[in-house]
Amino acid sequence: MDTAHFVIDKPERWDSSFDSDMTEADVNRLLEIRPFSEMNSGKFSKRTPLRGILKNDARIRRFKNGEIIVRAGDYGSSAFLVLAGNARVVLDPGLPVSLLGQRKSQHKSLFQIVAQLWTNPRDPEVRTPAELEQDTGVKVGGEFKGVFLQDVPRILDEHLTATMSPGDFFGEIAALSRSARTSTIFAVGDATEMLEIRWQGLRDLLRFDDHLRHHIDRIYRERTLATHLREIPIFRRLNDEQLKRVIEQTQFGTYGDYDWSGDYKRLVKEGTRSPEKETIIAQEGDYPNGVVLIRSGFARLSQKFGHGHRTLNYLSAGSQFGLREIAHNWAHKDTVPFQHSLRVIGYTHVIVVPAPVMEEIVLPTVPRDQLPEFFTPAELAGTEQSESQQKLDAGAKIGPELMEFLTENRYFNGTSTMVIDMERCTRCDDCVRACASANEGNPRFLRHGQTTGRIMVANSCMHCADPVCLIGCPTGAIHRGQTGGEVVVNQATCIGCSICSNNCPYEAIRMVEIREEDGAFMVDKDMKPIVKATKCDLCSDQLGGPACERSCPHGALKRMDMNNLDSFAKWLQR
Amino acid sequence: MSGFVRRRLLWGSLLLAATLAVISAYARWAGATTREAYLSGWVLFGLMVLLTGYNWFKKIPYLPMGRSEVWLQFHIYAGLFTGVLFLLHVRGRWPTGWFEIVLTVLYVLVMVSGVLGILISRGWPKRLSARGGEVPFERIPIVRRQLREQAEALALNSVAEARSATIAEFHARRLHAFFAGPQNFLSHVFEIRLPLNALLNELGDLNRFLNEQERKVTAQLVTLVRQKDGLDYQHALQLTLRLWLFIHIPVTYSLMLCALAHIVLVYGFSAGVR
Ligand code: HEM
Ligand code: SF4
Ligand code: SF4
Repeated sequence: MDTAHFVIDKPERWDSSFDSDMTEADVNRLLEIRPFSEMNSGKFSKRTPLRGILKNDARIRRFKNGEIIVRAGDYGSSAFLVLAGNARVVLDPGLPVSLLGQRKSQHKSLFQIVAQLWTNPRDPEVRTPAELEQDTGVKVGGEFKGVFLQDVPRILDEHLTATMSPGDFFGEIAALSRSARTSTIFAVGDATEMLEIRWQGLRDLLRFDDHLRHHIDRIYRERTLATHLREIPIFRRLNDEQLKRVIEQTQFGTYGDYDWSGDYKRLVKEGTRSPEKETIIAQEGDYPNGVVLIRSGFARLSQKFGHGHRTLNYLSAGSQFGLREIAHNWAHKDTVPFQHSLRVIGYTHVIVVPAPVMEEIVLPTVPRDQLPEFFTPAELAGTEQSESQQKLDAGAKIGPELMEFLTENRYFNGTSTMVIDMERCTRCDDCVRACASANEGNPRFLRHGQTTGRIMVANSCMHCADPVCLIGCPTGAIHRGQTGGEVVVNQATCIGCSICSNNCPYEAIRMVEIREEDGAFMVDKDMKPIVKATKCDLCSDQLGGPACERSCPHGALKRMDMNNLDSFAKWLQR
Repeated sequence: MSGFVRRRLLWGSLLLAATLAVISAYARWAGATTREAYLSGWVLFGLMVLLTGYNWFKKIPYLPMGRSEVWLQFHIYAGLFTGVLFLLHVRGRWPTGWFEIVLTVLYVLVMVSGVLGILISRGWPKRLSARGGEVPFERIPIVRRQLREQAEALALNSVAEARSATIAEFHARRLHAFFAGPQNFLSHVFEIRLPLNALLNELGDLNRFLNEQERKVTAQLVTLVRQKDGLDYQHALQLTLRLWLFIHIPVTYSLMLCALAHIVLVYGFSAGVR
């Protein structure tokens, strides 16, 4: 008999497995316990067998007493299964931010602001002891450089917590929908053992195992969908019973690649950034079978134009697609197809409410005047533009070239992108000097960057809507401020591992060697220089907002929310 | 109407109103007392302190004292208004004493440099962008050195490859100096392309004496010359955009010192306010 050799190409990500120390014995042990013991390994594809997923996409981690496993506000890309011991979830109100390795957002006092006149040091990157001081309630250390809560009994005393025991799963929603962790979970006792599964593995487990998928599906609907739908105006009038029915029939899914930033960086290096293959979520001309709600990530809204497509806008978290068509068809018993296409850029997580659900349950609760504008025959014939269409069509307002530029370079991610009008900028560098004096003498951006026409996007942190830099920071040092959503680095808990700076697709985070107040480089016990991540913090501790923008004499520099292209267009035409 | 036009109209009408107001007040009081010279003098000095304050404001950008853009608008129109006050203050006459002459010259220098400054600040950024190939000012010397080295290498290699020194001679005679440092400053400022065209013509003429291989070298040299010319253009404009403030600010401080001395002298020798 012929012995056929099947060469099964394993996923590329398995070239570097999550933890190279995972042994066959570990995998055998995992296969003995739920939920893996209940999984039918025959259902998995040959390319990604269950054993392979456990061996390559999972790792066993042991946590010590008080060690934080996930932190509220963190962006993590993995989920956890409790194997042994137990962990506690901190219920509302959570732990104070200083215990999470973060920095409390606060403004300097007026005196401290004025004192910068004489306290700004001569040397670059000086750190004072106060800046490097950690909250005494926490310690950074351990194998994974985690943050440890020092006084667990007191925290259990002072905070409401819930226990997680072996078999419990957590973190899967944040990992799959790329959203912030909603609560902090820490280990109690030194025998806590967790299986950590990275999102790719989790995705494959879901794909091939109904049991786990149903489990996650259920908690996603219960915990996330209800709150999310309630936030959207059109669903606001549903009573609990109606909302429950909507939730039951709502679908959700993830498109594209969670790791888009890594791929994107590689493509930029190779110079083959575009045009890329963008998966289509909904296509112009198709029957509108549901309203698409963007939950995270970004999607490109385009319309046929000549022989190609014209980008009208990009949609981000909170935007919807297809509501207008479905409302029109419902009100007029019509069959207007999708007027635009929706494509994934990088990564997009969406919720789809099917058209029948909209028609039967949702739309009847909406007053007529709050429905989207209906289509007129002239608009459908293409001879007239409606107000809604004009509003959506940012490409027309800022011009197709700039639109392409923002999309191609992924600048739509920025909520505070630094744009400079090069036809007004006198290259005086007042902005750079102002940034330096607001940051102890260290400018936190380069007045330099990609340019199109008269617009330059300078190399500064843009405080992204989808902050890739936050994924994977072991200590939570890089985090969102508690007030404005700005991304900041806590110098006290930053361990200089460079994960954030390597993750940032825009090269906006710089690693620097820090100095004592006398100018000498700080070193660790092996005499290696101590390195910290630095970046623009949007002047969050200064009064009066971004110094760069305020200091430009010619109004050439603006921090711009790229998800509000109307204000960008207005600024361009000022 | 664009925001910029509206802004100019607003500030412009404020300036006009203020000008009309002080002139009519002057006309009414003229000759009655000599008080108005004191009044206009103090207002003028006060405004000049505010104008100089823009320099201090820039040193402390972290103080929440409003946007620099607004400060500059005030600075420009209040600066122009000082011109009106100045003329009234000196009663439209050229001063006679040497100290007053110094004061006036300093004032005129600040004024003229300010007006020229705002004109180039508004006009030249567009020129910089339109020309393209922008290099940050600090990097210009580095790029210049790279271009010079490339040109030298081309000229040197051509001797060995073509067994002829025509290109090398031309390089030594014309190009060496051209690549050595910034050139044709004024032509660039006034957007005159004659020097570049002259050099390119000379390079073109040279081709008659060259073989096929050498012509390839001159073609490369032409590219380098164009690049260097673009770099000089950036250098000339960016330098001027920076340099004018090196007149405006130091002269401002000299003016303020002299103005102080002027006030002391006035009070010292005129027995004070009547
Ligand atoms: C007597 C009156 C004036 C005084 C004492 C004065 C003084 C100053 C000072 C101290 C600065 C600070 C610059 C810096 O720190 O960067 C400045 C900047 C400036 N001044 Fe004046 N100035 C006067 C009149 C004017 C006038 C009449 C104009 C224009 C019409 C003008 C236009 C400017 C401009 C454009 C800047 C710089 C803006 C930039 O940073 O790009 N000045 N002036
Ligand atoms: S916002 Fe502040 S820290 Fe950020 S670039 Fe501007 S001046 Fe620098
Ligand atoms: S302060 Fe404004 S004009 Fe000056 S370099 Fe910065 S952006 Fe350009």
